[in-house]
Amino acid sequence: MSSENFDPTLIGFLCTWCSYTGADLAGTARMTYSPNIRIIRVMCSGRVDPQFVIKAFKEGADGILISGCHPGDCHYKEGNYKALRRHRLLRKMLEQFGIEKERLRLEWVSAAEGAKFQNVCDEFTEQIKELGPLNIMKGDINEYREA
Amino acid sequence: MVNLKIDGKTIQVEDGITILQAAEQQEIKIPTLCYHPLMEPYAACRVCVVESISGKGSELVTSCNTLVKNGMEIQTASDKALFARRMNVEMLLAQAPAAVPVQELAKELGIEKTRFKIKDPDEKCILCGMCVRACEDIVGASAISFLQRGQHREVCTPFGEQSEACIGCTACAFFCPTGAITVEDLHGRKVIHSELDLGPSTAIRVPIRQAVPMVPFIDEEACIHFKTGECKICSDVCQKEAIDHEAQDEEIELEVGSIILASGFKSFDPSLIPAYGYGRLDNVITALEFERLVNASSPTGGKILLSNGEEPKSVGIIHCVGSRDENYNEYCSRVCCMYSLKFAHLLKEKTSADIYDFYIDMRCFGKGYEEFYHRLLHEGTKFIRGRVSEVSDMALSKEEEGKLIIRVEDTLIGVVRRIPVDMVILATGLEPGTDSNQIAKVFNISCSQDGFFLERHPKLAPVSTFSDGIFLAGTCQSPKDIPDTVAQAGAAACEALALADKGKFDLEPITAEIDEELCAGCQICVGLCPFTAITYDKEKGISEINDALCKGCGTCVSACPSGAAQQKHFRDKQIFAEIEGIFIE
Amino acid sequence: MAKIKKEKEYRVHLMVCAGTACVSNHSFEIKEALETEIKKQDLDNEVLIVTTGCNGFCERGPLLVVQPGNIFYQTLTTKDIPHLVEEHFLKGRPVEKLMYIPPEEKTPIPVLSDIDFFKKQVLIALRNRGLIDPEKIDEYIARDGYKAMAKALTSMSPSDIRSEIQKSGLRGRGGGGFPTGLKWEFVSNAVSSNGNVKYLVCNGDEGDPGAFMDRSILEADPHSVIEGMVIGAKAINATQGYAYVRNEYPLALNRLYKALDDAREYGLLGKNILGSGMDFDIKIVRGAGAFICGEETALLSSIEGRLGEPKPRPPYPAEKGLWGCPTLINNVETWANIAPIINRGAKWYSHIGTETSKGTKVFSLVGKINNTGLVEVPMGITLREIIYDIGGGIPGGREFKAVQTGGPSGGCIPKEKIDLPIDYESLSDAGSMMGSGGMVVMDEDTCMVDVARYFLSFTQDESCGKCTPCREGTKAMLDILTRITKGEGTDEDLTLLEELAVSIKDSALCGLGKTAPNPVLTTMKYFRSEYEAHIRDKKCPAHTCRDLNVYTIDEDICVNTGHGCDLCRRNCASDAILGERNQPHQIIQDKCTKCGVCYDVCKFGAVKVD
Repeated sequence: MSSENFDPTLIGFLCTWCSYTGADLAGTARMTYSPNIRIIRVMCSGRVDPQFVIKAFKEGADGILISGCHPGDCHYKEGNYKALRRHRLLRKMLEQFGIEKERLRLEWVSAAEGAKFQNVCDEFTEQIKELGPLNIMKGDINEYREA
Repeated sequence: MVNLKIDGKTIQVEDGITILQAAEQQEIKIPTLCYHPLMEPYAACRVCVVESISGKGSELVTSCNTLVKNGMEIQTASDKALFARRMNVEMLLAQAPAAVPVQELAKELGIEKTRFKIKDPDEKCILCGMCVRACEDIVGASAISFLQRGQHREVCTPFGEQSEACIGCTACAFFCPTGAITVEDLHGRKVIHSELDLGPSTAIRVPIRQAVPMVPFIDEEACIHFKTGECKICSDVCQKEAIDHEAQDEEIELEVGSIILASGFKSFDPSLIPAYGYGRLDNVITALEFERLVNASSPTGGKILLSNGEEPKSVGIIHCVGSRDENYNEYCSRVCCMYSLKFAHLLKEKTSADIYDFYIDMRCFGKGYEEFYHRLLHEGTKFIRGRVSEVSDMALSKEEEGKLIIRVEDTLIGVVRRIPVDMVILATGLEPGTDSNQIAKVFNISCSQDGFFLERHPKLAPVSTFSDGIFLAGTCQSPKDIPDTVAQAGAAACEALALADKGKFDLEPITAEIDEELCAGCQICVGLCPFTAITYDKEKGISEINDALCKGCGTCVSACPSGAAQQKHFRDKQIFAEIEGIFIE
Repeated sequence: MAKIKKEKEYRVHLMVCAGTACVSNHSFEIKEALETEIKKQDLDNEVLIVTTGCNGFCERGPLLVVQPGNIFYQTLTTKDIPHLVEEHFLKGRPVEKLMYIPPEEKTPIPVLSDIDFFKKQVLIALRNRGLIDPEKIDEYIARDGYKAMAKALTSMSPSDIRSEIQKSGLRGRGGGGFPTGLKWEFVSNAVSSNGNVKYLVCNGDEGDPGAFMDRSILEADPHSVIEGMVIGAKAINATQGYAYVRNEYPLALNRLYKALDDAREYGLLGKNILGSGMDFDIKIVRGAGAFICGEETALLSSIEGRLGEPKPRPPYPAEKGLWGCPTLINNVETWANIAPIINRGAKWYSHIGTETSKGTKVFSLVGKINNTGLVEVPMGITLREIIYDIGGGIPGGREFKAVQTGGPSGGCIPKEKIDLPIDYESLSDAGSMMGSGGMVVMDEDTCMVDVARYFLSFTQDESCGKCTPCREGTKAMLDILTRITKGEGTDEDLTLLEELAVSIKDSALCGLGKTAPNPVLTTMKYFRSEYEAHIRDKKCPAHTCRDLNVYTIDEDICVNTGHGCDLCRRNCASDAILGERNQPHQIIQDKCTKCGVCYDVCKFGAVKVD
């Protein structure tokens, strides 16, 4: 596929308290940003199981954003630190699978940072566009579906 | 009880008081010079002598320190007592002719002049020792005492040198009955320790004349008791025994259901804008300083005066200082336009000054606000639309000499103007309080970009925060004026009450739970929980989650290797479904 | 307790007086000369030289008493020593020309106890004088020293001791004359504000000018004071004692320091004295040059390290003294009397003296008197006996005029009252006071106005300045008296002087101020004519006030007897004398500064003073 027609599908796991609210703020402030991101709300970025990331890539995501509260500001105290740890480990693992580490992005977006969210989405979209589509799964997806 | 006779009158008084005190009770006045009710009697001046008559004859005793005894017969103004008293006062008149209490006493006793040699016509010190006794017994510093003896006796520090023991309390000057010690004298004699800041007020004082509550506080830095362990004269004289020097700050733990944060704001510091000359130029003041100046309890008594004490003939009010400014705060502080108009109106009322108001926009958003603005337009205040670029004292012409020149682009006529004024009032904006970050951390609430506390929803939940039970009121949430603050405060109070009134509390529905069948007891989750909501049950060999403690973050869930831990409404299955749902064609 | 060593037996003991007066009169040189001579004559195994405290007959120093035999040698010079040693100590022939010969007489009196000066004295406080070396505690003990203390500590209760002192009738010898036993009773009954702590103080500040009674006792017999203080400590249950001695008495201080060390070494002071279980020790505190610190409250203030100024009484030190605790403070001489009273009994003591004043008193007899010195006489002895029998009368055959007792707090007693028996009451009735024992004899050449001025200048200088009447009043009185002696006095001055005296006496805070006018009051009472002469006639009858003297030369005597010797003119520093050899000389009054040198140098008595 050509990069010009490639419209990446990005999945964003946003924590409710900060990042989701920040994204909300971007919305209420009528900020425009690339529509490629699909948001899945979790309570805390620490909820993001590495399985979600793998599943998302398996299902066809080109890029995954995990976004939580700034370090020290996590509503559940330390959840974002767990997310940070997992992100680092996961990146290494993904590289071994042949997935570029840039496809998994970790951001800290606070509830006030609507503009940052807008920037991150735009930037991420551009970045993934450059990288091109992932196309990691070939074959019957049903074989791998969980019961 | 003691029975005695004073001036022919038989009286009964309580044991342990002096003749002077007994006489006071009978409203008989015995003159004193070295006596003070707050100090131990010194009996040095010998002016208070009275005649004590007994079977063996009579003798003169000093009434200030002699205790009453049963059967005493006292004559306070007998010939013998008066003779000695007059002689002593006549001698004091020669020793310290400039001491007013001695002059007055001499007049009272009918002494016109002194037969004795006058050494120094300007001498005021009567060697009563009150300064020494105050320094030693009341203050506890013992910095001064008497030097030499006889005719050479004088009050001084050791060897007349600057004393390390002097704490600059000026109690000596305070107690001196003749004004022989003045504070300037103290400086000249190098008695005051050079590092101490004397200040115009006492260590125990009411903060301002309009303080609420109107209760004095003790400034620990200035208080002598905290320095030397002595004094405590304030608590000695307080009849209600309301003063407790030993009171310590207490930390009280209260268990509450809801908290309203109303921690207020901070004024913008205009010294951050050097061009406006605040702190550098005289008569450039902030709005808050002007409020204080104009208040009836101010040092000027409410008169609007320049630093040299004169009335200003022209005043400039500059809007948006620190607000609506990319370099400082981008937001509008909401209240400044209206209070600037208020100042303009006050100035017109109290002075005959020319008033210039420099604005960008006139934000008169409230009830009656626009009408007030119109009134001002008719009062004669000159409104100039433009951002002031600088306030300077560099005069370029004769009219500008000695004035503050405001340089502004008058955008309505498109001319850069120089307007000389006597006083400049900076309408400084509102900022979050200095400790707002700390408060946010303590209460685990978020701040918005400008630093004010973040409300749960800008439109629909302006008084709540993302943390249940913590509410906001007032300018800690955003700049607002008094009517809005009051309204918000009412709302917050209402929400808090509603919470308490419900009697029920809604639990989070999104807590995590552990499937006993699946749990292997690896305990990975136990250490991860920041709320220590998970415990390991040794008997069962599995981990368990306490519903009440669990806040629903889901960290344990994502760490569980077996999938035994799941978060209600955010199960793995559910999220997988969401992910799949995104990619359904 | 250390054993008293048996001293070597000597044939002769030479008791050389080493009191301060004799020391300044080279008595140590006499001692060295003696040592040299004794050695030269190989007598050092037979003759022992002992330096003792003040012998008392200061007029005749340096002096020495030979024991046994009580032979008294006086006014010795080093030149006399070789002859004395050879004649008396080697050959056994006392040297008459070195003995005491009363004035106007020819026969020497060899034995001390035959000499009038010593005959009428009764020594109690000075019991050991001239007989022991004050630096040897053994000698003190050998003369019944510390026996009374042992008795008091082991077989008497505190109230026994107190009642014995009360029965004796002893009164404070510092000047107050307060019954000592009664004071002890007060202190004993007082409740301490600090546990059971009570203090005991010895007042050795002796400030009266010319007084040296206490100094002599401390120099000659310091142990007598220590013993008295320990007995006192037992009597009132004191735990700590202080001896306040003026710093101007270095010899007394040294002797006292040594005595305290020796007493401690012997277990007679300190912890568990004599095994009686009583702890008591004495600290020495030195004065710093202020007369006012002899006043008891100022003294206590000084010990506490505070400003030496008096406090109003009551409360008395017996109730609230050192650091607020009951304090017993007595004079040196009082303490020296305690041990004899305990030793020999109150009955014995009370037989000496008068009805109201028991015992003896030490006086320093000075002034216009032949036998200047230190005497201890029983109370009740008359002034006449002291002045003429003991004192040997007025030198130069001049007329006795008055005697001043009590120092600057006392007064002058005129010759009309010379038969006054000495005791506390009779002296104060006469307008004077016993004081600490100063006795200054005056003759016709003493100007009483000047005496008053002299004492007042002392009091004024020593006034602490706390209270108005003393600080300002003594200065005012001194100013008036000075002007009177200069011939600038007026009648109003006399009136003001009297008024000041009355008001100061009535309203001053402490004893110094209250008694400062006494010299003025007594001299005005008995010698008013002298005051009037100074004021109205501008003359000083005693010719002491130089400014009032008028010197003239009797030209007859000058030229006929003196042949115009011109000595006066040559000595006149103001060129006020005119004259030539063999011519009568004249004094130019305008230039005369009244220095009196011409009067002094004229051998022919041609210069007259009026």
